[in-house]
Amino acid sequence: MRFHTTCDGFRRRDMLKAGCIGFGGLTLSQYARLTHAGQVNSNRAQRAIFIELPGGPSHLDTFDLKPGAPDNIRGTFKPISTNVAGIQISEHLPKLAAVADKFAILRGVSHTLAAHQLGREYVNTGSRPIPSLEYPSYGAVLSKERPGEDDIPSQVAVPKAGHGPGFLGIRYASLETNSMPQFGQPYAVRGLSLSPGIGVDEVQKRQQLLEKLDRRFAEFEEVGGLVDGLDRFGEQAYSMITSPRARKAFDISQEPVSFAKLFGEDPFAQSCLMALRLVESGVGLVSVQLGGWDTHADNFTKLKDTQLPKLDAGLSGLLAGLEMRGMLETTAVLVTGEFGRTPKINDRSAEGGRDHYPRCMFMLMAGGGVRGGQVIGESDDTAAGPRNEAITPDDVAASFYWNLGIDPTIEYQTNTGRPITLVRDGKVIQQLFS
Amino acid sequence: MQLTSQIQVLSIRQSVKVSVVIIGLLASSIVSSRALATESKTASERFALPGSGEVPSFQKHVTPLLGRLGCNGRSCHGSFQGRGDFRLSLFGYDFKADHEALMAENTGRVDIDDVEESLILAKPIDADMHEGGKRMEKDGWQYNVLRAWISAGAKFDASEVEQLEDLVVTPNEIRFTNANEHVQLKVVAHWADGSSEDVTELCRFSSNDDAVAAIDESGHVTSGETGDTHVVVYYDNAVVPIAALRPIATPRESQQLVNAKPIDVAVAQKLDKLGIIPSPVCSDEDFIRRVSLDVTGTLPSPDEVRAFVTDSSSDKRAHYIDVLLERPTYAAWWATRFSDWTGNNEAELNNVLPGRNIASKLWYEWLRERLAKNVPYDEIVEGIVVAKSRDGNEDYGAYCDAMSEACRPGGEKSFAQRDGMPLYWARRNFRQPTERAIGFAYTFLGVRIECAQCHKHPFDQWSKNDFDEFSKLFTPIKMNQGAAAKEDKSEEREMLASLGVSASTKGNLLRKKLAESLLEGKTVPFGELMVDTVTATQRAKAQVAQAKKKGKKVNLRVPTGKILGDDSEVELNQDPRMALMRWLRSPDNPYFAKAVVNRVWANYFGIGIVDPTDDMNLANPPSNSSLLDYLANGLMDHDFDLKWLHREITTSETYQRSAEVNETNRLDRRNFSRHVPRRYPAEVVHDAVLMATLSDEQADHVAETLEGMAITDALSIYGAGKGSVFALDVFGRSTRESNCDCDRSDSPSLLQSVYLRNDVDIHRRLADRSGWVTESCKKLGIAPEVSGVDKAKEESNKRIGRQKQFFEARIKEFNNLPPKRQEQMRSKLMAQYEKFSTQLAADGETLLPLAEMLKNPDQPSIDATLVEPTDMSTLKTEPINVIVEDAYLRTLSRFPNQEEMQTSLAFFDESQSKGEAVKSLLWALLNTKEFIISH
Repeated sequence: MRFHTTCDGFRRRDMLKAGCIGFGGLTLSQYARLTHAGQVNSNRAQRAIFIELPGGPSHLDTFDLKPGAPDNIRGTFKPISTNVAGIQISEHLPKLAAVADKFAILRGVSHTLAAHQLGREYVNTGSRPIPSLEYPSYGAVLSKERPGEDDIPSQVAVPKAGHGPGFLGIRYASLETNSMPQFGQPYAVRGLSLSPGIGVDEVQKRQQLLEKLDRRFAEFEEVGGLVDGLDRFGEQAYSMITSPRARKAFDISQEPVSFAKLFGEDPFAQSCLMALRLVESGVGLVSVQLGGWDTHADNFTKLKDTQLPKLDAGLSGLLAGLEMRGMLETTAVLVTGEFGRTPKINDRSAEGGRDHYPRCMFMLMAGGGVRGGQVIGESDDTAAGPRNEAITPDDVAASFYWNLGIDPTIEYQTNTGRPITLVRDGKVIQQLFS
Repeated sequence: MQLTSQIQVLSIRQSVKVSVVIIGLLASSIVSSRALATESKTASERFALPGSGEVPSFQKHVTPLLGRLGCNGRSCHGSFQGRGDFRLSLFGYDFKADHEALMAENTGRVDIDDVEESLILAKPIDADMHEGGKRMEKDGWQYNVLRAWISAGAKFDASEVEQLEDLVVTPNEIRFTNANEHVQLKVVAHWADGSSEDVTELCRFSSNDDAVAAIDESGHVTSGETGDTHVVVYYDNAVVPIAALRPIATPRESQQLVNAKPIDVAVAQKLDKLGIIPSPVCSDEDFIRRVSLDVTGTLPSPDEVRAFVTDSSSDKRAHYIDVLLERPTYAAWWATRFSDWTGNNEAELNNVLPGRNIASKLWYEWLRERLAKNVPYDEIVEGIVVAKSRDGNEDYGAYCDAMSEACRPGGEKSFAQRDGMPLYWARRNFRQPTERAIGFAYTFLGVRIECAQCHKHPFDQWSKNDFDEFSKLFTPIKMNQGAAAKEDKSEEREMLASLGVSASTKGNLLRKKLAESLLEGKTVPFGELMVDTVTATQRAKAQVAQAKKKGKKVNLRVPTGKILGDDSEVELNQDPRMALMRWLRSPDNPYFAKAVVNRVWANYFGIGIVDPTDDMNLANPPSNSSLLDYLANGLMDHDFDLKWLHREITTSETYQRSAEVNETNRLDRRNFSRHVPRRYPAEVVHDAVLMATLSDEQADHVAETLEGMAITDALSIYGAGKGSVFALDVFGRSTRESNCDCDRSDSPSLLQSVYLRNDVDIHRRLADRSGWVTESCKKLGIAPEVSGVDKAKEESNKRIGRQKQFFEARIKEFNNLPPKRQEQMRSKLMAQYEKFSTQLAADGETLLPLAEMLKNPDQPSIDATLVEPTDMSTLKTEPINVIVEDAYLRTLSRFPNQEEMQTSLAFFDESQSKGEAVKSLLWALLNTKEFIISH
């Protein structure tokens, strides 16, 4: 397995995990009992949208403001009230403030991997990366558990996937669009439309011939799932090319302008719109990336002028749109970066920046059984760590899977027969669903 | 024996995460029951009782102990923000800073007067008071170590950091036979002063694959699955890997291989240990395709395959390899790979030269020229590392003349003749000394030193200080667009004036003007690489003068830097790159030859001997060190002759093994016991599609001129956005942006399958007038214009597409109307249908019946193929046979077997249009797994 070593020392079997005691969660059977007794919301989502904010967004300037902290920590942004009494977020997220009842804010989420790549692997899988094995992404797991139909991809990444299928094998990799949709423009994934002059009949004939001739690796057993993956992609490609379903799902220009405008006009916002359409058409998980959060320098200008307006418009549009279409209850949404940023503002640029900081970060969850309009977890006075027990990425993963009706303690086998628990250390966060 | 059994019990309990504290307890209880060894005692023995008299050393005992207890880990005080205001250097080794942090006033961390109250004693024994929980037991040996050190004054002298000469681990290799066997490692440190001691209990341990060999925090190894890996021991600045393996089948006696090549001997030795039986050598057809794609990035031509498989000479494989190595495609493909490793990226070179997409092309061509001439690897590197902008005695004017020529279309050939390739130093992401240290180590050493930028490298010997000293070497090198030597400034101004550029013209405007002048054949000024050694001396002189003013006497001290792993200082008043280059090519250099050997190996096997290929570090040892040593030494002995390396690898049995597996090697990926299939690289896939679809004549032309091939880099404009080639992006060519071999991806994806099946690129190639399908149609006696997409047809297709879209929209609109309105509109719709249908008929297309379209509006409305007037009588079985054979040879480089031939012929029989059948057959073969997977 290919694995790049970085500075975090993950090669070391870190038996001496300090200070991180698992979040007080629920075992599955406990949860089942509570569900049965009607004490937790038993809604389960069918599909998911995963919004990744690579670079690591500052928690202090977005969803975990500390107006009482000293100047060199607080920063220049002010909190504003939301449509939920008692919940405040950054003044530069006014549209999200108006739909705060639709999502839950997780504060004081905490881990220890301060390098981008490792942090991303962690939040994309819910398991701390280890050298001998690569864990699968959420989308890969969902594809495996709910394969869906052939003429629509089971997972789509706009524009790129943050993480691969790991030990589950290549067949569970997502379709990457390689580009983002533009407002008001028709969008097509290249190659999905039939060229003029080539009919479905012709494609079918060719496909039949191909199936007869593509025998070379028929009996071949391959460790990395290469052959198996190619077979799967071939079947899917054929189904998608010959059916209009996927084409239509990608084409955001089929939405009324009034609906598209809900989302804002930048490519990220339109990617959120596309995610909604894709999920509506039967895609299992859509991941959307919004990068640019690595604000070591000029933290505040970058956030205020670029990052936060994009996130605010796109995400609020998505949540409102899902609700309007009656899809919020069936669509689990998870929003996360790979870590938070240092409370102390550095002096690397005129206005200062913030550096990598995994010990305290935020995540957002919505949809399915998640009760919106609540804050779960809490950070300390300077947002330097969780005030009480930490929420871990593992807990969030367990909860996300749970929300999707997938048992987070399910056991998989690697191709060498090694048993792997889907989420090793996480516990479902009860409060999310109560 | 008792010791072992106790530790075994312990290891089982630890698997349910028993705190390390228990080791202390157990270890100290062991002491009483264990006969005192004659050798040096362990730390727990020596410090079992308080006041043993021995004063622990900060470097040798206290710091490692803090590491072992987890204090300086990332999640605890090793965090860059510290914890509880207390910060230690991550993974230790910054003794001075750590000592200062411990001794900081008014913190109470170390209290010499009231030893027991010192926080570093009180905190870790108290789970309640310490956020990190209980780390050790009061009065345990660890406690005693810290207490004894504090009692003796908590001393550390930064000038007396001792050199660790050797860290000896026993056993030095572990061979298990079954699962759940146990081995305890013992670690002895040998110091420069001749002393040695058992430091097992002060080390950190890790496993590179805990499924094969798990190791706990006391150095106790437990076997798991079959396979081989390493467990790693860390102490002071030493990182020692210990091979651990459990054979897959009964290990075999090493066989005496007669006339075996050294590569095969080295591989066999490892396989025998593991009991793996290698796969046999592959067929000629597999071989010619594999070796041609690997060495030249290009498919063999059908004729070559025919000739090769019928050739009966015994040395034909070696001979064919020699032929390949002389081909222009060899140099082109490897120039692409060296471009990856050296970071040739147009986006990072933006604005370095007047005009876009020039710099990257010059870079590539400079490399290609040298690979074609087989210039020794160290000399190629020298041309980059010590590159000067000017050749020989060129004055500024002559230099600008030469570069102006180089930047004009086709000028790359003249640039390739120049001695140096300074563009390497001009990249935007290669300007800071730290960026250069990281990039240089990545490119030429295959080492990732970036970790040491902030802290001790966790898997290697490098400290932050090593990194800083190494970075300094790069400070004198300046290169950017405007950089011109002082004495040339006036000439530069004159040149600009003669071009009619005012002095105030800057930035994009200036570049635009210069690019225009270039194309008009004029000479424009260029910036150049400068080595600023003067500043170094001046700065030193200024310091002396400053000191003099204050009445102090200071010796002239020129700034210095240090080469990695070398203690001698390189003075920066001369070009430090000379020293760097001397070091690179010195026979003692531990990385230089290995890095290139390993990358070339990975190109042939899909995995490096060290994997990942750019991460050679002590904790990531080669899977077969004698193999890597042989190739690295061999390359040096052959004066860095790269073709020797290619030949040595590709003529080996190891390279030529089949992909067939047996019970013993089916899971093997890292010991080279079989061919491991992989998806071919982006450029290779692109070019394979090109060559397979071109007519014979065109393909020969391309093979000679390389026109339109992705391996020439002509298409590969990096980071240029618009100019980039879709197929290359989809298939994951290297982005060349982050000093990582992982910038290139060889994973398959759904979009790749969609591309090969239905992208307009593929359809266009299949229908191309100068393509093989057209050529074959001619051979079959079908009019060529029928299968070629001519201009008129393209136009009509476009028109049909628009009409189709319009009509499909009409159908939907109609469906959405209320029934009453539909009745009113029906006749109009029918009229439109008739009109459209007639138009289509003229184009040879048929429209679905209107009723069906209304019932199923999402179905494509045109269900027809190109209508081709095919005269069946002219077709004969024999030519079709030949066409099928040719299709196989040009795609899969082999003859079809009987079944495949029958299937193909049957397909032709059933097809209305033979032209379409040719196209379909080629399409199907391009879409087989065999086409894009190596085998």
